[in-house]
Amino acid sequence: MEKDFEQMNYYEMLDVAPNASAMEIRSAYNAALQMYQPDSLVSYSFFSKEERNNILFLLEQAYFTLINEAQRTEYDKELNQQGILKKPDNITALKKPVNIFDINRQKFKATWKKDNDELRRKIAQNPNIRDILSQQEIKGSDLKTIRNELGVAIEKIHQETKIRLDYLNCIELDETGKLPAPVFLKGFIKAYLKSLCIEPVEETSHRYMRSIPGQKLT
Amino acid sequence: MAHIWPIGGGKGGSGKSFLASSLGRILSKSGKKTLLVDLDLGAANLHTMVGVPYPEKSFSDFVSKKYSDLGDTVLQTPFPNLFLISGAHDSLDIANLPYEKKIKTLKSISHLHYDYIILDLGAGTAFNTLDFFLASRNGIFITTPEPTSIENVYRLMRAIYLRRIRHHFSATSFKSLEKKTQECLGDSFLNKPENIVSVIRKEYADKYTLIKKDFSDFRFKLILNQLRKQDNIALGEQICKIIRKHLGIHVDFVGNIAYDEHVHDAICQRVCFLDRYPHTRAANDLRELNKKMSNAFGEQLMLNYL
Repeated sequence: MEKDFEQMNYYEMLDVAPNASAMEIRSAYNAALQMYQPDSLVSYSFFSKEERNNILFLLEQAYFTLINEAQRTEYDKELNQQGILKKPDNITALKKPVNIFDINRQKFKATWKKDNDELRRKIAQNPNIRDILSQQEIKGSDLKTIRNELGVAIEKIHQETKIRLDYLNCIELDETGKLPAPVFLKGFIKAYLKSLCIEPVEETSHRYMRSIPGQKLT
Repeated sequence: MAHIWPIGGGKGGSGKSFLASSLGRILSKSGKKTLLVDLDLGAANLHTMVGVPYPEKSFSDFVSKKYSDLGDTVLQTPFPNLFLISGAHDSLDIANLPYEKKIKTLKSISHLHYDYIILDLGAGTAFNTLDFFLASRNGIFITTPEPTSIENVYRLMRAIYLRRIRHHFSATSFKSLEKKTQECLGDSFLNKPENIVSVIRKEYADKYTLIKKDFSDFRFKLILNQLRKQDNIALGEQICKIIRKHLGIHVDFVGNIAYDEHVHDAICQRVCFLDRYPHTRAANDLRELNKKMSNAFGEQLMLNYL
């Protein structure tokens, strides 16, 4: 027996690592309670009444200290000073919760709206884009040129249209073998054009579809 | 040298004799020369479990010097490779085996030539039982998942722990240690070896390291017998955890044996359970346990009485 129970630090009492997350501490406390409760088969007859009460009291103290972030940092500091705990840098590596919802998305949409006018203005002024749009057939590479001229990242289109990035890349690189079925492709192209504010959408997408070999309008 | 497996546990029905006979049967079947010794002095019944209903010789004959060699009291069982030293027809005062006879017995046991020697011990915490249990570092505790049985096995563990600590002190120094414990913690703490150890840690640092090293060589095992479906499977692990944390002894949990009505049937028919019902859950569990333990046991045997 290395230590009496009373001399253990809170982490040892609960049998958790010093960098355990709140979740781990909670489940460790539950497991300990199961073992030390008065009606537990494991510890019945192992402890006297006072011993058990003492242990349960200590466990509760340990749990409430460690589960409270402020008190825990305070306690860690104390252990640090006694040299029991090593450097606290592995403690900061705690897993933090991650946002599932992007709160900034609303804002992002608003700015996108403003950008639309900007895009239209650019399309009207840029001679290169006007040249491409006057062609009979528009290829994926043409779409890429327009996008580059407008200075829009492909990721932004992906974010806007929810079209998979690899599809977008296939479209732009004219890898016709890997393109989705024409029905979907047409929808994708329309969404793409809309997100770049290229007009007229319907007609331009027709011209694109015509350029796809083996998919002559059925 | 033989592997000695002492089996100890709470009183009546925890499965000491059943486990001893079953392990003996499995080991002998796998070609190991195995000896069962019924050391449940005064309440021996192992012979009934291994198909020797009327043993001609018994352990008592060795104690009463009818045979000078313990090897002469060994009986052949109906099973190949399985041998028995029976405790049947023991003299009625055998339970109070004097100290020097006990030492003689332990010495003789260690000189027998077998692959495995399984000691079936009696219930309770008599010094004889404790010393036979400490004859090897591979003692096996067995208990059922009932509070009464677990209570007894805790008592047995504490008694063994204290008995072993006692070896490290002379009579007078142990007296003074007891006194110190009493001063530090009060009367009610004397029956708990963990309290005595915590005093040793503070007062006799060198002794403490010795004791710690001594116990780190032990490979105690725990087996939970008669586990019914509704029982907690994790119980064994939890028992081991609490012992490690509060007593400081390392006990490995080996496994559970399922509760099985067939065991009762087999014992009533006085046939070997494993042969009669080889495909029951309990039989599977027993084979599994044997496999685990045979792998886990290393070289051993201490017997520092010798």
